[in-house]
Amino acid sequence: MASATATQGGRGAMSSLLFYVFLFFFVLVSMFPLIWIFKMSIITKGELFQSPPTILPANPTGAEYTQILSDPAFQKALLNSAIISGVTTVVCLFFGSIAAYAIARLRFRFKSSVMTLILAISFFPAVAIIAPLFVQYSAFGIIDTYWAAIVSDVVFALPLTVWLLVAFFRELPKDLEEAAKVDGATTIQAFRKVIVPLAAPGVFTTAILTFIFAWNEFLFATTFLFTPATQPVTVVIPNFASQYTVDYGAQAAAAVVVTVPLVILVLIFQRRIVSGLTAGAVKG
Amino acid sequence: MTQSRREGGVLGGRKMSRRDFLRVGGAGLAGATLLGAAGCGGGGSQASGNVVFAMGVDTSGTLQGLVDKFNKQNKGSFQVTYREMPADSGQYFDQLRTELQAGASEIDVIGGDVIWPPQFAANGWILDVSDRFPESERQQFLPAPIDSLIYDGAIYGVPWFTDAGMLYYRTDLLEKAGFSEPPATWEEMKEMALKTAQDTGTKNGFVFQGSNYEGGTVNGLEYIWTHGGDVLSGDQVIIDSPESVAGLETERSMVAEGVAPEAVSTYKEQETDPAFLGGTSVFARNWPYMYALASDPETSRIKPDQIGVAPLPAGEGGQSFSGLGGWDMMINANSQKQDQAWEFVKFMTGEEGQTQRALAATLLPTRKALYQDPKILNEVPVIRLGKEAIQSTKARPVSPYYSDMSLKMAEQFNLSLKGDVEPAQAVKTLQQELTNILEQAG
Amino acid sequence: MTTATTEKKRRGGVLREEFRNPERRTAYYMVLPALLIILIVAFFPILQSINLSLRQATIIQAGPFVGLENYKEMLENPDFLEGLTNTLIFTVASVALEFFIGLGIALAINRAFRGRGLVRAAVLVPWAFPTVISAVMWRLMFQDQVGIINYVANSTGLVSEPILSDRTLLLIGVILVDVWKTTPFMALLLLAGLQTIPGDVYEAARVDGANVWQRFFRITLPLLKPTILVALLFRTLDAYRVFDLFWALSNRELESLSTFVYEGVRISQLQFAQGNAASVFIFVTAFLIAIFFIKVLGMQTSTEE
Repeated sequence: MASATATQGGRGAMSSLLFYVFLFFFVLVSMFPLIWIFKMSIITKGELFQSPPTILPANPTGAEYTQILSDPAFQKALLNSAIISGVTTVVCLFFGSIAAYAIARLRFRFKSSVMTLILAISFFPAVAIIAPLFVQYSAFGIIDTYWAAIVSDVVFALPLTVWLLVAFFRELPKDLEEAAKVDGATTIQAFRKVIVPLAAPGVFTTAILTFIFAWNEFLFATTFLFTPATQPVTVVIPNFASQYTVDYGAQAAAAVVVTVPLVILVLIFQRRIVSGLTAGAVKG
Repeated sequence: MTQSRREGGVLGGRKMSRRDFLRVGGAGLAGATLLGAAGCGGGGSQASGNVVFAMGVDTSGTLQGLVDKFNKQNKGSFQVTYREMPADSGQYFDQLRTELQAGASEIDVIGGDVIWPPQFAANGWILDVSDRFPESERQQFLPAPIDSLIYDGAIYGVPWFTDAGMLYYRTDLLEKAGFSEPPATWEEMKEMALKTAQDTGTKNGFVFQGSNYEGGTVNGLEYIWTHGGDVLSGDQVIIDSPESVAGLETERSMVAEGVAPEAVSTYKEQETDPAFLGGTSVFARNWPYMYALASDPETSRIKPDQIGVAPLPAGEGGQSFSGLGGWDMMINANSQKQDQAWEFVKFMTGEEGQTQRALAATLLPTRKALYQDPKILNEVPVIRLGKEAIQSTKARPVSPYYSDMSLKMAEQFNLSLKGDVEPAQAVKTLQQELTNILEQAG
Repeated sequence: MTTATTEKKRRGGVLREEFRNPERRTAYYMVLPALLIILIVAFFPILQSINLSLRQATIIQAGPFVGLENYKEMLENPDFLEGLTNTLIFTVASVALEFFIGLGIALAINRAFRGRGLVRAAVLVPWAFPTVISAVMWRLMFQDQVGIINYVANSTGLVSEPILSDRTLLLIGVILVDVWKTTPFMALLLLAGLQTIPGDVYEAARVDGANVWQRFFRITLPLLKPTILVALLFRTLDAYRVFDLFWALSNRELESLSTFVYEGVRISQLQFAQGNAASVFIFVTAFLIAIFFIKVLGMQTSTEE
């Protein structure tokens, strides 16, 4: 989609400037809390509790980062988070895309019932069924293993996965394949060169959202996972505390450590979304 | 026709993408199973047959040390695993309740907050240890913590360590303003706070915990108790009394008269610490742990020798009481290892276990004898300084329905503190709500 | 198959008709795994919760059947009503704000400009931020002594009291934090939807002489409709069930429907049955909201292509 401003003269410069100002403002608002929390992670405990708060750190120190990064429990927690989120995403994408594909492209009755049923289960407040779930998982012996968290996350992430993929698959015009075939492409080529790239934004978006959902999930993780061997970061970080005190510095540092890789991951995947788009839109 | 051909075409195209999906998906699932299998390795405590001891986060490291010591002494017979529970006491409670409710908990020994025993006992979740813990043994412990473990005539655990609300004050600031003794009544305290804050240019006169949570309930109760009021007398709710109203009015006056900052209605312990240790407050009501924090130059701008500790002031004609806090040892009623669990409980609550925790983590012991121990008195100044406060502790209402009662009390105390509700009205509402709770309970 | 013949078949006939068709059979097999996972895991616990809500349930026993009495008590419970009000205000305000701002961001980022990738990543930061810490950190920023937001708000005269102690300010604060956190989610969804629209459609329209607004309303919006509706539906349902923000940031000051459930089911001894009733209430009303989106707003779930 070409920029509309490119074709307009003086007015284009003005709206271009406004556009960049608008963008700058949004980036600032999005990033500000992270910047503030980063500041919290590099100042001393004494300065943390200074009233009124200081704007620039007086004596920046990397002590918190050294402390948490060398903590084996935290390292394991990062790995646990990655595994739980990764497996949840893969499982959701696999079963979800199969189901979404059938719903979006094939014909059968009871479509809306199926969609609604998948969606409805996730309405139920998880906290109300946590005790029965505990009993169930105990019976299957998966308490305190990754599977307890993965299964729970999948159940609550599947609805969004299915619905999103259905919406994306449906957005793909049926005629596109027909047009490609008329142009001489075989079915396989039509699929690879036309459908897959166009579906990619949807699939990658869904993957990112599911991953982040599982990454941030707290209730199931804290209820079903007991030891540092299985606990993800969402459980470990609030425990940088004792009964009456909270180690804000460590939690802030942990927050930064946990968020930045996620953002980088997203950055990488978003490139693929862009490339998918340009591949599909170029006239074959 | 075109219809069927399109369908065929559609189907043809679809078959390809389906296979593609399945290919990718199959690979993904295989990978997932591999990773998941790796996950099955996690979770050892259930299978190992150890006695599982649950307790919140221990930043001092002494807990694991004690557990290791016990394990060394008991090598060959049985071992204990320390399972770390959430640092936040409320969250720890919620987790425990879910596990006990599900009836599938692996936990054998519970290190529990002093307000939990009646609630768990009423549901049959913890073990009655009356036979193992006879009267003669109980005498060796402080009376108030023992009372917190008694439900329906039986005792359900052993006191481990205790906590008491105390009045902290800045000795240097008070001296500058011409005061040499801590206040004995709330009125005195308010006067001293205002004058000292003004004379020394200190921002706040007094800080305490007034937020809507368990600590807020404790603070509110302390005001009520020190004015002669109470919540329960046997099974009767007696909170509706002029004494209780006087107590809440005193609490409200702290903010109304400018002694405490308005935001104190949002304070928990985490906010009280920086206010007092940062040097911006003359007085503070807090638990003993804050004294230890004062020795850490990273956390505190003031030094221990600038701090005094006293029992809480009393209302006019009342008596000083401090809120009882602390932790007890309980045994899961469903545990298959009750005898072994009891051995561990005896070890942790024994003189040696309590002494170590007192010295290393500045936690107040529950054995009377240890309060005569010169080493402890020397190395844990807050015990010496806070002796009076520790001896005048009062337990929160002992009831299986304490959680419900606390939710209501915390709310009303907070509303009264903020001035949204008149203390007299708050008390009346509580009388009604608490009576309802006990009636509902049957 | 005409409607007449469809109506003539009895239910058994319809099902048999479905399964005999190989394409349809395959479709059912493809849908089955997802359905099975959800049903096996969640079905019985949900049933149990519903059962408990109809009884005089306590934590340790189900108790005698009392019909809808728990629901009646729940609807008369002032805490519940407060939770309901707060939740409704929160849902409407945050979803509306998130949608419009998100759409704006998506449209803006969809154009080609320098540094687009970086902007996209930056905008996603709030969503990637772990919720558990987010609420705690925000509370710290709102706090009266060391909180930067409270400090700025009070210095500039925007507010005259500590933010955390006033319920209205708290609610506004919570809405703003949620908008900060979740707008990226909306923006990302809408952006992906925008990018699925092929460029040639716009080319054709521009050739036909359509201006920016016409292109937006006649092409973009209709093609984006399925994505918009999914995004709105899920955001609305998520906002309706808000818990973490209310619980951790406002520290139990603000009640929401979900905090009411949490208190009833996990903390209180006596409100256990009401807590379960509230869960079912959330379940049923969320269902109705979904139906509203599907039927009234025309979300497509069962149309054939």
